[in-house]
Amino acid sequence: MGPELVIALIAGAALFGVGIYGALSQTNLVMIMMGVELVLAGAMVNMLAFWRYLHPDNPAGQMFVLIIMTVMAIEMSVGFGVAIARFRAKGSVEMEEAAELKG
Amino acid sequence: MTTLLVLLLLIAGAYFVAVLEAWISNGRFRLAAPLYATIALLGRESIVPRKPDRIFFEVGPVLLLLSALLAATVIPLTPDLIITELATGALFINAALVYVLVALLMAGWGPDGAYAMIGGWRFLGQLIAYAMLIVMPITAVAMRAESLLSTQIVVSQLGLWNIIYQPLGFVLFFVASMALAFLPPFDMMIAKGELAGGVEAEYTGARLAVFRLGRLVLIITLASATAIFYLGGWQGPWLPPWAWSAIKILVVTATMLLAGRYMPRIREAHLLSWCWMLGIPLALINILIVGILVLEFP
Amino acid sequence: MMTAQMFFIAFFGLAAVWFGIVVFRTFSMVRSALALLFSQTALGAMFLSMQAEFLGVLQIMMMATEMSIMAIFMVMFMMDPGGLGEMEMTHQKRLSLVTGFVSFVAAVMIAVFVDWGPMANTFPDAAQQTVDLGLELLGRSMLIFEMAGITILTAMIAATAVAIQPAKKVSQ
Repeated sequence: MGPELVIALIAGAALFGVGIYGALSQTNLVMIMMGVELVLAGAMVNMLAFWRYLHPDNPAGQMFVLIIMTVMAIEMSVGFGVAIARFRAKGSVEMEEAAELKG
Repeated sequence: MTTLLVLLLLIAGAYFVAVLEAWISNGRFRLAAPLYATIALLGRESIVPRKPDRIFFEVGPVLLLLSALLAATVIPLTPDLIITELATGALFINAALVYVLVALLMAGWGPDGAYAMIGGWRFLGQLIAYAMLIVMPITAVAMRAESLLSTQIVVSQLGLWNIIYQPLGFVLFFVASMALAFLPPFDMMIAKGELAGGVEAEYTGARLAVFRLGRLVLIITLASATAIFYLGGWQGPWLPPWAWSAIKILVVTATMLLAGRYMPRIREAHLLSWCWMLGIPLALINILIVGILVLEFP
Repeated sequence: MMTAQMFFIAFFGLAAVWFGIVVFRTFSMVRSALALLFSQTALGAMFLSMQAEFLGVLQIMMMATEMSIMAIFMVMFMMDPGGLGEMEMTHQKRLSLVTGFVSFVAAVMIAVFVDWGPMANTFPDAAQQTVDLGLELLGRSMLIFEMAGITILTAMIAATAVAIQPAKKVSQ
């Protein structure tokens, strides 16, 4: 068991933690999306570390990183679409003011 | 050693571009003018605006220079004269050049001036237009070479240069690289006479010198990239490889500078619609044609 | 034993986490978006030090565009994009801090205490990796790859449809 894998995993864990904090604590939709990007980045580091140190002969590990990048791009595009629609309808993307669906 | 040589060549190329640009734009051919201009800029007072975002303000010009230099590291001038031979060279050029956008955004936002900021955001709009037209033609080039190594791409053009093999890709790449280097028809972000210098507006002294040097290095880097992707790089009869590289790069640079002089400025909204409605379908057709050619007539 | 690879992974990992924290500490929106960009770029450099050259370069390339677009959306949608007013933009601070910290600690515990088995020492070189990845994408995993493409297309259409200006109704 080498320390490189653990170092990379700890970095991934820290990115995940920071991302979770950001996504939960921010009030602005765009800032929340930034938090989610960080969470996905943490997942990406882990996938690549597993590929490199445990199964370097299997390119599926790298493919998963590509898929996560795709997910990031999709999240951005849909998130910004929603943000534009919300801004046009309500004049702000503050999530404190978005409680219409609250029961 | 190679690194030093390539850097010197880039600086010499940038100097040449400066002379050529002045010659084309105001009709006077003066070899020493850029030298005097540099000395004047370095000697001048460096004014900092009142409430700058200090980090962005300082980093912007340096990052512009750095990204152009990084892109130049994977460009082979002769078979041996290349700083690093990356297995993903063709992709790396692109990755380094995207940071031109980041540099201009920083330089635009940093000084807290209206003209500079408008210039910075305009370049973002322009990037959305040209980015795909840089990537897709490179994809077609890499398809023919069956490799992302930049030397391999040059070797693959032995006998038939890519400009004849895929002329559509060449035209698209040429136009897109002019937009990337914000050369005249696409120079909305420094628009002299309209935005008062745009991104450059708030820079003076040494910082402006770095910014202008970065722009010149960017132009020469893009010309070399065009030469290795489409004009067969160092290949050619009779003359030695370095001479062919130099000739091709100089011809491409001169063409880029000349072409823009006779066209009106293109607004980034119009550029966006042209690029997405005409450019990207053409780029896809180019990839299709090259794919058929590669598979059927290897 | 500290190898160069370990040092670089740790260094860039630390840089990525630090810039990730800066994202939520600064008041200026453009700084926030560009800090996220540098976090992702540090991640790309970390990939490069893990010898995944293609993915590292791809990460560095893609994130520059993505985060710059993020920056302009921040400026568009925030009341105070320059951060001069130092506006408060957080809520449920304690809950989020605790949740973030707990998830970090849990993930670290897993990383440290699980026996990951033998480490691989050999790995394909960069050119071979690119070839392998291409063959994987267009061979065994083609269905997933195609699905990703279709999903992107759907997301593009959906986002455009949501964001587009509704046609003006003809007034009576």
